[in-house]
Amino acid sequence: MIFALAATFLTDLSSFVSDNFDELLAGLRRTLVVSAIAIVGAFVIGLILGAARAHRIPVISQLAAIYVEVIRNTPILVQIFFLYFGLPQVGVRLDAFTVAWLAVTIWGGAFNTENFRAGFEAVPTRYREAGFALGFGRIATFLNVTLPIGGRIALPSSINTYISVLKNTSLMYVIAYPELTTTALQIQALTLETVETFTVLAVTYLTLVWTMSALIRLLESRLALPEERS
Amino acid sequence: MPDWVEPVARYMLEEGLVGTLRIAAIALAGSVLVGITLGTLLTIKFLPLRSLIRLYIEVWRGLPILVTIFIIFFMLPAVSQQLEFDALTAAAIGLILWGSAQVAEATRGAVQSIPREQHEAASALGFGWIGRHSFVIMPQALRRLLPPLVSLLVNIIQNTTIAQVIGATELLEAGERQSERLVAPEPIGLGEIHAFEIYAGVMVVFFLISFPLTRLAAYLERRLV
Repeated sequence: MIFALAATFLTDLSSFVSDNFDELLAGLRRTLVVSAIAIVGAFVIGLILGAARAHRIPVISQLAAIYVEVIRNTPILVQIFFLYFGLPQVGVRLDAFTVAWLAVTIWGGAFNTENFRAGFEAVPTRYREAGFALGFGRIATFLNVTLPIGGRIALPSSINTYISVLKNTSLMYVIAYPELTTTALQIQALTLETVETFTVLAVTYLTLVWTMSALIRLLESRLALPEERS
Repeated sequence: MPDWVEPVARYMLEEGLVGTLRIAAIALAGSVLVGITLGTLLTIKFLPLRSLIRLYIEVWRGLPILVTIFIIFFMLPAVSQQLEFDALTAAAIGLILWGSAQVAEATRGAVQSIPREQHEAASALGFGWIGRHSFVIMPQALRRLLPPLVSLLVNIIQNTTIAQVIGATELLEAGERQSERLVAPEPIGLGEIHAFEIYAGVMVVFFLISFPLTRLAAYLERRLV
């Protein structure tokens, strides 16, 4: 009886997927594109501002601190509303795609600044002193000593930020950007195949997120500092 | 200050902020209760139970909260008529599923950080498993759990805004309603757009609540470790 029900459901599910395959794939592709842009952007922002914070570079460090606190202490959904519905009033009109990648880039960049700051600050001062003693300048010491060591320390927390970035792209539903969640709800509204829609949606997100967390564990053991490798 | 501000701000605070705090309070209480129970059970070395709780944690932590809330609000009623919830309840359940997964993970770490001598001493005094955990282990683990719980509260408060998507009355939804009302011609609205000020205001209110709490979490982290 249970097997028969499960078999029926699986048949429903596979016909649902094949009926809506092109739309679902297009939605998934947009989710991945927006996430990829934001991950690269958040990496660059985090690297530069994290270094500025850790080395207490005047003015940039303080501005970065304000940026981080404002973004981390306000909900990302409100930030999206502000960018998409608030800014046009002052003449700044951004289309849904721009808001989609911009919002998660700004958000991920703020969290990544903290990740990289903590990573760079965890590098023992004596390593940097050794760099100076070898005749490296400040920038060369950062690139050859602080970055390789601090970057590895920051890696797990920064990948967690990238996972959150991917999950947060689902919020683009509110600006009707047709990524995975928006696409799934459009299909649901059309077909009324509610259970199938949300099963496919949930399974897709879990596959993406679990793959990324598995990647963290893999990278952690591959990139671990020699002294922490077991 | 222009005339339109006062009624808008009053509605957003009296209806919106109160709704936000209500959802946050329910979600926090539920997350802590379910999370601490599951996290403690996770330390028992019984594989089927552990795998079940692990699955619970990984699923609700892995899904975007918006998708979880959609599943509760749209999918459950399609499965059974009895599983139909209003927007506020559905949002609270979604946040509890996500929050309890976070708390369970933190609790497991905190409980396992308590030295085994504490377990042995409590057993020697005649406590059973429940007594041992509620009177000896948990009070000590709570100290370590406090900083992550304050961070969780900040995250829950911020994530209550996701309830806006299914139309629950909270601060962002209240702001959106007022913003739309002001666009309407008189006498309902003013025929003016004030979305910029309203959403900036929503951000300010959330910042004023969150910022002291994140400071507190950082302070507790330094003090209690």
